[in-house]
Amino acid sequence: MTPKKGSLLESARELPSNVWSSIFRNPLPHNDVERSATSFTNFFLHIHPVKVNKNTLRPMYTMGLGLMSFFLFLILVVTGILLMFYYVPSTNQAYDRMLDLRGSVAFGTFLRNMHRWSAHGMVAIVFFHMCRVFFTGAYKKPREFNWLLGVVLLLVTLFLSFTGYLLPWDQLAFWAITVGTAIAGYAPLVGKEIRFLLLGDANVGQEALLRFYVLHVAVLPVIATLLIAVHFWRIRKDGGLSRPATAEVKPDLAITVKAVELDPKRTYGLQGLVRGPMVKVGNVPDNSVYSWPNLLMAELFAFVVTLSIILVLSMLFNAPLEEPVNVMHPPNPAKAPWYFLGLQEMVSYSAFWGGVGIPGLFVLLLVLTPYIDRSPEGVGVWFSKKRLLANTVFLTFVILNIGFIIIGTFFRGPNWSFVTPW
Amino acid sequence: MGLNPRRSSEAEAAEQQNASRRRMLGWLTGVGLFGSGILSAFSNFVFIKPRATYGAPQRFTIGKPTSYPEGTRVAIEPRRICIVRDGNRLAAISTTCTHLGCIVGLSDTGFACPCHGSRYDQDGTVTGGPAPKPLAWYKVSLAPNGELEIDKDVEVQPGTYLNV
Repeated sequence: MTPKKGSLLESARELPSNVWSSIFRNPLPHNDVERSATSFTNFFLHIHPVKVNKNTLRPMYTMGLGLMSFFLFLILVVTGILLMFYYVPSTNQAYDRMLDLRGSVAFGTFLRNMHRWSAHGMVAIVFFHMCRVFFTGAYKKPREFNWLLGVVLLLVTLFLSFTGYLLPWDQLAFWAITVGTAIAGYAPLVGKEIRFLLLGDANVGQEALLRFYVLHVAVLPVIATLLIAVHFWRIRKDGGLSRPATAEVKPDLAITVKAVELDPKRTYGLQGLVRGPMVKVGNVPDNSVYSWPNLLMAELFAFVVTLSIILVLSMLFNAPLEEPVNVMHPPNPAKAPWYFLGLQEMVSYSAFWGGVGIPGLFVLLLVLTPYIDRSPEGVGVWFSKKRLLANTVFLTFVILNIGFIIIGTFFRGPNWSFVTPW
Repeated sequence: MGLNPRRSSEAEAAEQQNASRRRMLGWLTGVGLFGSGILSAFSNFVFIKPRATYGAPQRFTIGKPTSYPEGTRVAIEPRRICIVRDGNRLAAISTTCTHLGCIVGLSDTGFACPCHGSRYDQDGTVTGGPAPKPLAWYKVSLAPNGELEIDKDVEVQPGTYLNV
């Protein structure tokens, strides 16, 4: 017996499919039109283009580094929020809470491991992402501003790590922050003021712990989220990822009627405003493929790989926790985490030049890069011969930076004297 | 329309006046909004700069001179100072490294910093490492009750002792 049309029974029987179709307006795509519609009809997918250039999906071109940075950020947000349920930013309690996390909280150690290794990973991957963008010349016009956003994101990432490692309130935390904020104190004119504002007191103590906590769990993550959103949005607006000119296919078969310029007295739809009135006929070869499923599969793959690596690392290695803070006795040698050891090594030669001068100049150089190097050549390929000079300069900086980190990590012993690790 | 040139120019003048008033109002609005933005940024800055701090006091007493006999060279770690007695003269030298604020330890030749390897002689003069200036000497005085009083807010010339 089929239920009467419009009856309660019919509504009940069709309930699941009605609910489903009210949530997902688009069925799982089976043809090109439906594939195109996925990006428009799903909130979480609408940042994706409908089609994406094949070059964008070449694993050896991007190595997925930008995506991996983003996924690490997501893991950090999730594990960080979970850790907040047990953490107290007080000098009396913070360290005990670390021990509790290890001893009496289900999955406490594991979550802390994930948070720590993702943080280390994010610093490294963001740095490698910057290297990839530089060596492929991807910062050139029209992507100058997105490069600038990337430089700011690198600094925010470093500052997030820096504020994060005071929180366990162990020896490393205390002395790293003592050294780090003293470096800030060397900045000309405003240095002392910045140090005082950061610490909220003359020395590292309760006020500093509270301030770093607020920066770490609220201020910086919000800034990072906002910048990441703009960073992604700019990829679309700048015409997708950079690619060599040869990756473009001129759509000569398309009948395109494009207005020379927009008439200021007419009203245009969004598409008309962006591209001008245009008619595209037929399926023109343009060297691109549909985002569904190609791009989404690539993203899923990057996510699974990232998460798996973090999970395995967190199972194998425990995040270090040193002795509780002893404000009388700095460990000897007192070392910052590895990504600041290059800085610490330079600081051992000159506090101003090593801690403020040279890093400041380096950041300034990074910011100015796309505005100095304006030749449009060599975009979209690794180590283009046309970019030999720029790549050599950048590679020198990278090697120096890594070199200083290696010296600081393995070749410095008590009183920061030179030792050999063997 | 246009038949009366006088009226037309009057209307034009009125239109011009309107335009300049609009420009003026727009300009005032801009300045007002921008000024409010600057003011609120400044008040946030004032807000996060603490007026009172909760840390250890900068001025404190450390007991009678007799508890520091001839030849004393002892670090009072919680206060981050080293008390030196040379004959009948007393002085307080900072044990905070002038490089990046680590605590220097007493060594055979003076002071040594564990963080970046700065070294100082007995008087706090830099003898090696990245420290840019000598260790600070603080004002030492005798409080009315006969105890030694140190004021870390007042630095004195290295070599300035208190005779006791």
